[in-house]
Formats: sequence, C-alpha cells, structure tokens
Amino acid sequence: MPSRSIELPQGTLDLLILRTLALKPLHGWAVSERIQQISSDLLRVQQGTLYPALHRLVRRGWIKAWGTSENKRRAKSYELTKAGRRQLEIERDAWEKLTAVVSQILRTA
Amino acid sequence: MLVHDLLIRLRTLFRRYAAESELDDELRFHLERQVAKYVKSGMSESEAVRRDRLEFGGLDQVKDECREARGISFVETLVQDLRYTTRTLLHSPVFTSCGVLTLALGIGANTAIFSVVNSVLLNPLPYPNPQELLAGRPNDSRPNLEDIQRLTNSFASSGGVNITPMDFTGNGEPVRIHAAYVDAGLLATLGVQPMLGRSISADEDVKGGPRNVVVSYPFWRDFLGSDPRVLGKSIRLSGNTYTIIGVMPSGFALPKEPADIFVSLWVAYPDAASERDVHFMHTYWRLKPSVTPAQAQAEVAQVDRRLAEQFPDSEKGRGTLLVPLHEWLVGNIRPALLVLFGAVGLVLLIACANFAMLLMARSVARQRELMIRASLGARNSRLIRQRLTESTLLALFGGAAGLVVAKIGTTFLVALKPAALLRFTAIHMDLRVFLVVFAISLLTGLLFGLLPAWSAARGDIAEALRENARATGSGASRSLLRNFLVTAELALALILLVGAGLLSKGFLHLRSVNPGFNPTNVMTIYLQLPATRYPEIPLETNFRRQLLARVNALPGVEAAMISDLPLAGNYVGHRVVIDGRPTPAVGTEPEVQTLSVMGDYFCIMQIPIRAGHDFRVTDREGEPLVAIVNESFVRQYLPDQNPVGSRIDWARRDEANKWMTIIGVVGDVKHSGLNQPVDPAVYAPFSQNDEAWRRFMSLVIKTDGPVAGLVEDVKKQVWSLDNQIPISDVQSMDDLVVFSVAQQRFNMLLLGIFAVLALTLAGVGIYGMIAYRVNQRTHDIGVYIALGAQHRDVLRLIIKDGIKLTFLGVVLGLVGAVALTRLMVSLLFEVKPTDPATLIAVALLLAAAALLACYIPARRALSIQPITALRCE
Repeated sequence: MPSRSIELPQGTLDLLILRTLALKPLHGWAVSERIQQISSDLLRVQQGTLYPALHRLVRRGWIKAWGTSENKRRAKSYELTKAGRRQLEIERDAWEKLTAVVSQILRTA
Repeated sequence: MLVHDLLIRLRTLFRRYAAESELDDELRFHLERQVAKYVKSGMSESEAVRRDRLEFGGLDQVKDECREARGISFVETLVQDLRYTTRTLLHSPVFTSCGVLTLALGIGANTAIFSVVNSVLLNPLPYPNPQELLAGRPNDSRPNLEDIQRLTNSFASSGGVNITPMDFTGNGEPVRIHAAYVDAGLLATLGVQPMLGRSISADEDVKGGPRNVVVSYPFWRDFLGSDPRVLGKSIRLSGNTYTIIGVMPSGFALPKEPADIFVSLWVAYPDAASERDVHFMHTYWRLKPSVTPAQAQAEVAQVDRRLAEQFPDSEKGRGTLLVPLHEWLVGNIRPALLVLFGAVGLVLLIACANFAMLLMARSVARQRELMIRASLGARNSRLIRQRLTESTLLALFGGAAGLVVAKIGTTFLVALKPAALLRFTAIHMDLRVFLVVFAISLLTGLLFGLLPAWSAARGDIAEALRENARATGSGASRSLLRNFLVTAELALALILLVGAGLLSKGFLHLRSVNPGFNPTNVMTIYLQLPATRYPEIPLETNFRRQLLARVNALPGVEAAMISDLPLAGNYVGHRVVIDGRPTPAVGTEPEVQTLSVMGDYFCIMQIPIRAGHDFRVTDREGEPLVAIVNESFVRQYLPDQNPVGSRIDWARRDEANKWMTIIGVVGDVKHSGLNQPVDPAVYAPFSQNDEAWRRFMSLVIKTDGPVAGLVEDVKKQVWSLDNQIPISDVQSMDDLVVFSVAQQRFNMLLLGIFAVLALTLAGVGIYGMIAYRVNQRTHDIGVYIALGAQHRDVLRLIIKDGIKLTFLGVVLGLVGAVALTRLMVSLLFEVKPTDPATLIAVALLLAAAALLACYIPARRALSIQPITALRCE
C-alpha cells in the first residue's frame, strides 16, 4: 500500500482542504478520510501536516472552527469562510493553469 | 486581515489553557476515530492503536507545529521556556549560584572600578568645548602671561591662577581658605559663568583695583548660609575687606587647584603680580575654533623667544609648553590607569570563561535529557531556544546581582579616598559602564549557551539512548575547549597575582624606607600669619618666639617650628652660591631646598646631626648668620672640604653677599615623598630670615604619648596671642607619612582585590571542571574501586588532569606576566617587574589554590561506594 501513495506537491494540501470543506463543514479526521477516499487511497494526508495546515488556514481567516460534540468528546468542525471561498477560486484557477501548462509542455516539448 | 490575525493571536494567548486542551481533544479524537476505523476493518484493538501511533508520528511535534501555525508560539513558547528554565535553575542550586556569583563578581567589580576610573580619567572635562582648552607648562608670571596674551592671536581667551592660603575671619573661629589669585581672563577661559552676580572684570583686575571677590558654591553654602542676597556684602580676608560680586555654580572647580574664593592677583598681591620672575601662575588657554594646538604653540614659542632676549635674567631658557588640558590632568596617572584597565579586562575574561565552562558542563550533563526530548519530537530550534533562554536568564540574574555588587563596590572604592580621588567628589556608579560589561557577559552567555545547544541538538538520538550517554565522541572536542578555558583562567589569574604581588612588594619597600625622621607621637599644626597685621619680619619673629615659649610651657610637651613639613607637599627652593668658588653665570647656580626652623626641630623629629652642632639660642637676629645643611648638600656641593665652617649665600643679583656659616650637617629627610630622591637642603633660623613672605610655619609638637586636649590647648595659646589666626591642617606626623603613600596603597589594594577575585574565579573554574569530571565518571570510579584500586590511584586518576592544566596555566601565566608587567615599571618602587621571589611565590600560591580546588571534588570521588556507583545507572 505505501508504494501506491503519492507525495503531495508543496502547497497543494491547502487547496485540497479548502475544496473538501467547500461542500460541508467537517472535522479534521473527516477531512483526511475524505481526501483519501476521493483519491481512491492514492493520497494519504499525514496527520502531522494536516493539523498544522488546518490551524494555519484558521489563522489566515479562510476557514473557521467551532466546537462540536460527538461521542461525548469535544471535536472541532471546520467551515469555509467567505474569504476562504474566494481563496479557493483563486487557488483552483492557479492550479488549473499550472497543470494545463505543465501537461502541455510534457506533451509537446 | 492583519486585525483578524492579531485577534486570533491575542485570543489564543489569553485562552492559552483552553486552546491547549482543545488541541489535545482534537488530536485525541482523531486518533480514536482512526483506531475505530482500523478495528472495523478487522484489526485487533492493540494492533490498531500501534498502527495509528506509527502513522501519526510525534504527537508533541504535531502539537508544536499546530501552535506555531496558530501563530502565538513566540510569546507562548517564551513563557513556557521561562517557566521551564526557572524550574530547572531552581533544581540545580549549585550550578545556578556558581553562575550568578561568577557574573555578579565579574560584572560588579568591573563596573565599580570602571566607574571610578571613568569619573576620574575619562569623563569629559566639566567645561564647555573642552577640546579647545590647553594648559601651559611650566608656571608663568603675571607679566609674561600679559605679554603672551597681548602678542598672540591664537587664543579666544586665556588666564592664570595661583592658589594662596588666606584667612577668613568674622564667622566664629578664623578659617584658612584656599584663595585663587586669578586674572580677569581665567573664569571666562574655562567658560563657566557665576550662578549669581558676575566675575571680575578686566578693568577691576589692575593694581589698586576694588577689593572684589567671587566665591565658590561650597564657600557660599558653608560660610554664607546660601544667602541669595549675598551680592554686595563684605567679608574679611586676611585682614582686608572684600565685596562679594559673584557666586560660582555648584559643581564648578578649577582643573587642578582647590579654590574657595577668587580674587584678582593684581588687587590681592600686587607685589607678586608685577614681578616678571615670580613664575607662580598656572595658565590655561582657550584656542580660537579654527586654530590647532600646534599653530598656537608655534606662536607662543615666538613670544617666548622675544621675552628671553628682552629679560635674559628671568626668562632665558624658559619656554611655554601647551598641553591639551585633559592630557595634562590625567597624564601622570596614565600608567596606573593602563594597568587597572588591563586588570579589569583580565577579570572580565576570567569571569566569562568561567560562565562559558559552567554552561558547557551543564549542557553535557543534560545532553541525554535533550536527546530524549529530541527523540520525542521536540525540534532542534526549540531545544536551542530553551538553552538560550537558560543562559540568558542566568546572565540576567547575574547582571542583577552584579548591579548590587557594583553599587557596593563603588561606594567602597570612594570610601578608600585615595589622594588622587579626593578632588572628585561626585563619583557615581556609571550605568553605561554597567551596560557594556553586562552586554559582554550576556553575549558570552548566548555564545556559549548556543555552542553546546547546537551540538547537543545535532547529536545522534540513537547514540544518546544507547546504554549510556556519558563520554561520547563529541565530548572530546568540548573537553579540549574546557581544558583551554581552565588553562587560560589560571594563566590570567597568575598575571594579575604577579601584578598585585609586585605592587605589594614595592609598597612594603616604600613603607620600610627610612624617612629620615621619627614620626612617632609628633603632632603638627599649620599656621599662617596675615600680611596685614604682620607686615615685617620682627613682628613675625616675635609671634613665633612667644608662641613657642607658651606651647613649650605646657606640661609634657616639646615644640619647635619649621617652614615646610616633610611629606606635606610644600617646597621652597632657592639658588645658592658657595664662598670661595667662582660665581656661576646668572641662572645656573645650584638650586637647593630652603627651610626655616625655630626651636629644637632636629631633636624633636630625631633627625640625626652628622657633624657640627644644632642651632643655638644665640643664633638669632643681629648675630652672625648660620645655616645647617643636609648630607645630600655636602655630597653634592662640598664633597672634598669640611662642610662645617664653609660659607654659603643665596644667589642674589642686586645685593652684596651676606654669608651664612654652616655650623652643622643633618641626616637626609625625605621631603617630597618616600619614593623620591632627597634634594640638597639648607636650614636657617626663622629669626635670621630676610624674606617677609615666609609667614607660614608648622608647629611640631612631641609628647610622650597621646595627650587628650593637646590640640585644644595649643589652639588656646595661639589665640591668646592673636585670635584671628586660623588653625587648620592638624595632623600627626604618622598620618602625613601614611597619606604620602596613599596613592600607592590604593593601587596595591585595587590590584590586590582584582587578583583575589581572579584567583577565586579561577579556583571555582578548575573546581567546577574536576567536580564535573568526577560526576561524569562516578560509574568508572566505582568499577575502579571495586577492582581494588587504592585511594592513591583514584586521587591520581582524578587530579592528574588538574595538575597538568595547573602546570600549563602557571607556565603560560609566567610568560604572560613577564611580558605584561613591564608596563607597570613606573608604578613599582625598587622592585623589578621580573622579581624572581615574587614570581615564584605567586606561582606557588596559584598552584596550591588550584590543587586545593582539585582536591575537594577528588575527595568526594574517594568516598564513592562501588555498589552505589554501579546501581545508579
């Protein structure tokens, strides 16, 4: 299984988190599960990078967190803010442009 | 955005505990969900937990990064580190107190001595634009000063001053004060205006001008009751009435001269003011802004040449040398200053080395702990920050303690009141100096806190967790550095000890110098007769004779008089001619010290009579002139003739010779200082004196032991003759001797304090090193003892390194001392800077101290029980 997973390029984790949260608020574990699920287990988000990334996004004001309670345990749900939605669009555009350019070069060069 | 960011930072900072527990909950929730998922997929519970942990990585590390991502980490970690550090510092009191003590002594002592030296030598002069001020050397006369002022263009202004005692009467007991005889230019040259009123103007500074006086602030405060309406009031000075026209501000002082009041020389002492050959004024010059000292010097030299041509009698061979004022003030203390600065630097080096060594030993001792924490996910930067927090905190504590030591030290040094410092009444602990010294030790703390932290953080975790984290590979280079530091400390301490030893030896030599008289039980009192009431010599002689008769009539008292007491700082010299010799050219006659006496002075002072006899009662006015010379006089001028019966006279230009017959030769007396050569001297009776201005005298009073009320009784006798004569400078001859070596004593004490400080610090250093090694090798020593090693073997094992380093330190120190102590030659009295006895004694002392410092921890090693040593792993 480890051989199947892909290293995430620098900076893409933020984009994935924003995209994941765009559908509905989730807590940290669910975010990682969802990314893993959608990528058919190809992408595995290390918790060691996930949580710092979540906290960083909170600080930038792109997502916000509130306490929820699940199984009598306080968990934290994250939700996209307006600024986060804008940021998601910006980053998505940038990403698409980048990948398009990169694949074009790979095809033609 | 920015505000939002700040709000989050602040909120999380205030809700730190809540935020922490939230983070805990969040991560734990994650772990639980993951485990639950694995279990659901068919894993056993324990397998799931293991897998989960493995995947998640270091929990602490994640938390750390989350905190950092949240962006409050700087303040938060600082608070955390501070709490952690305070706790660990309190848990190791020996380490902490050693560190704080080292820094306190290093910072404190250095600040104290630096403050004193700084106030005395480095502070800018208390005059505006001090760089423009020059002092003229040697002293000059009023007419010369006037000519130079008139004929030069380089100076914005200039002035001269002569300090002469005056009597201030009218407020209870008469008081002798220091009067500054000035010209109108002096105060303006120094650039200080009176606080009240005005200074003496040029048109008042003439012969027969109004008797006006400007008083100093202390005089105004002490004798005039700080009266704000004092201007225009009159005071009595030496029998004349002066009108107060100004009060100088507090803190004002002449560059070198003590002065209570300022009067015009032309008004107060016209006879001297008009004489071109009375070279008695200190002169000060203020350059015009665009003129360099060299240009001014050239111009003055031109005038000097003209004066020499015009007045060869008094001016030939004279020339004015202009010296920057600051240089003139501190020039003669400069060697002492250099040596003290050197000492300060050395002690600071030693203290820093000690501090560095402490930090290194500590970091090695804690390396294992650090590595474990690193393996638990603490990041390098974090560990380094923690070490830095510790060394910085320690430096701060040390600095605070140093502040206290500095404060006490400064007070102590000022209380010692060395002669050279007497003038400087306002010596404070200098905050700037403190900050500089403190910054240096802080930097040391940072640097040496960083070095080991860096290598500890880099260290191999696996290695640390291996069975024992003790003597590991990286230890070798560090122990080399430590050895170097210990050796350097010992060497530096030795240099200081040698310096102190040499000064002490010189001082002992100085104290054992025979002054040529016996000061025991001799009391001295200085008197000066005012010219107004004693204008002529017979009146003076009459007063002296009556006073001596009355004092000698007191029970158990013998008294005599002399014009200038030995070691009291006054000196009158005259040129002499010797009967039967060709008359030397004018201005080249030998110059000798001249003293006047009355009564059995030589007998009271126990100055031996080497040939001939003492003065007799019949040697008085109207009788043949007689003189007694000292042995130096005979050696220098009458080496091959019988001095007794030879005739001498003062070299005079305008009178026929009045020969004095030498009737006796007395032993040499140290007059200018115990370390100064004795000048040829001529003693003559006061009653045969022909200089009316010799109105001053000191009574020397010998008793069998301390006599209560003696001084009061003598004062009564003086005032029964004349109740307006001030009595001051009541001193025992013993005190005069002690006072004359005060500067040397101060030098010795200071360097001694430094040397003891250095010795202590170096001792602590080597002690710390050996103690640390014993700690580190408890296990090995236990095994060694278990294998049957004798006490001797264990001692040798422990002390071997100490001895090696001590030896090396001593050798290097001796080399350094020989190189450096040459700089203090001028401070040493009859001791060579390479005095072998001092070098050997000091080397032995240092070696003994170092070995003692090694022995204490080594003895602890002896008491190690093999079982405990092995078990403690």
